[in-house]
Amino acid sequence: MQQNEQEFIRILKERLEGTLAREELDDIVSDYSEHFRMGKESGRTDEELCKSLGSPEDIARELKALHLVKKAENSKSCGNIFHAVIATLGLGLFNLVFVLVPFLILLVMLFVIFIVGVLFTVIGPVGFVFSLLQLAGQPAFAIWLNPAAGTFFAIGITTMGLLLIIGDYYLARFFYRVGIRYLKWNISVISGTEEI
Amino acid sequence: MRTKEPGDDKFAGLVCRLNLSGLTVTKIILWLIAITIVSFVIGAGILAVSGDLPGGHGRTASPFVEGGSHGNTSSFPCGGATSGTVSITMGAGELSVRGGAQEDILMEATVFSRNAEWQPAITQSVNGSQTIITMTDKGHTAKEWVAAHTPNSWDIQLSNRVPLDLTVHTGAGDTSLDLSNLNLASLVVENGAGDTEIALGSAPVPGPVEISLGIGDLTLRVPKSSNTRINVHNGVGDVSRSGLVEQGGFFTTPGYNPDRPVTEIWVKQGVGSTSLEAV
Repeated sequence: MQQNEQEFIRILKERLEGTLAREELDDIVSDYSEHFRMGKESGRTDEELCKSLGSPEDIARELKALHLVKKAENSKSCGNIFHAVIATLGLGLFNLVFVLVPFLILLVMLFVIFIVGVLFTVIGPVGFVFSLLQLAGQPAFAIWLNPAAGTFFAIGITTMGLLLIIGDYYLARFFYRVGIRYLKWNISVISGTEEI
Repeated sequence: MRTKEPGDDKFAGLVCRLNLSGLTVTKIILWLIAITIVSFVIGAGILAVSGDLPGGHGRTASPFVEGGSHGNTSSFPCGGATSGTVSITMGAGELSVRGGAQEDILMEATVFSRNAEWQPAITQSVNGSQTIITMTDKGHTAKEWVAAHTPNSWDIQLSNRVPLDLTVHTGAGDTSLDLSNLNLASLVVENGAGDTEIALGSAPVPGPVEISLGIGDLTLRVPKSSNTRINVHNGVGDVSRSGLVEQGGFFTTPGYNPDRPVTEIWVKQGVGSTSLEAV
């Protein structure tokens, strides 16, 4: 379909509204309007300029993904990184493999470590109480080979659980930073620009 | 507003001495690592000193008491009885019933449990020439259930010689009844939830054979040479047969002859697959 400047700008605005802030959107629109103005001054037609820029839908998708990745970088939260990943997935089908699969693997790994940590943190104190009851001569709570050793093992299990939870937090932060850099690199490769 | 109390200054001093402000995340992590290592080393050291170190004496590497347990065996003599009635009621656990009890023994029951309180109540009485044995699970208190890995497993051997009326009720758990060598007069099996495996012998069972299951799979084996007829009423699940012939809504053994003494089996199952095998 043949496009003119108005049509191009209208589609771009329509796709970016709701995601980008008003000022940011105005800046982008003004940049593209300027590009059209300069192009026309040098004797090029709307059609030629639209063709050289590419589809406004693709441009909007890239700008949206970039915006969401930057937002996730500036304001760290699960929701922001999730939105950034989803937006990056929209840039190409191959990102299902290159973005979604690693993202899901990391998510499952962090979740499993967290659950194991929580389990240890809960089981440890329970084992500690059981060891004390076993020491007090309660046969129904005899789960340890040796209750005195069990007391120390229970303490070790609890602190190991806490370490796993803390470690999981730092691991999540590390992968968050690495993930943002990877998403930026991914967008730059797709859009054909230099790394952002 | 709260007025200042004399103890406040002491408490403030104590908090200052703890120097909590200097407690960084790195310090916390290092402390946790140190506590973890020291705790495990001391625990393993105690086990080593006390001779309970895992891995020794054929044990697995675990500081926990293993699931295995010692069995407690009780024997009940026939006492000159010409027939017997055995009724077994188990709440939850694994039940195994088979023939092969020693001569003059009607029932030999081994209860595997780590906890003495888990022993079932067993009574024996004589009614004329009949010996009646009931073995009933007393149930467990909440405190006992808290004890992890406490197994409840019964292994029962019955007399091959004395004609028996056998009744088995189980609430939940797997049940294995190898009755192929028994001289059965009748059989009633009820299992609430769990898999059930029953093997019958070639001698005809004159009394009723009723099997009722709630949820779980059933495997029923009868000898090909026996004169057996099986009726199955199945709620949800598949019914598969091997070596049996289907005729008139019944599954029969190949040489089934209604004029000869017959073992007639009635199966009622709620949810689960039923496998009928003539071997």
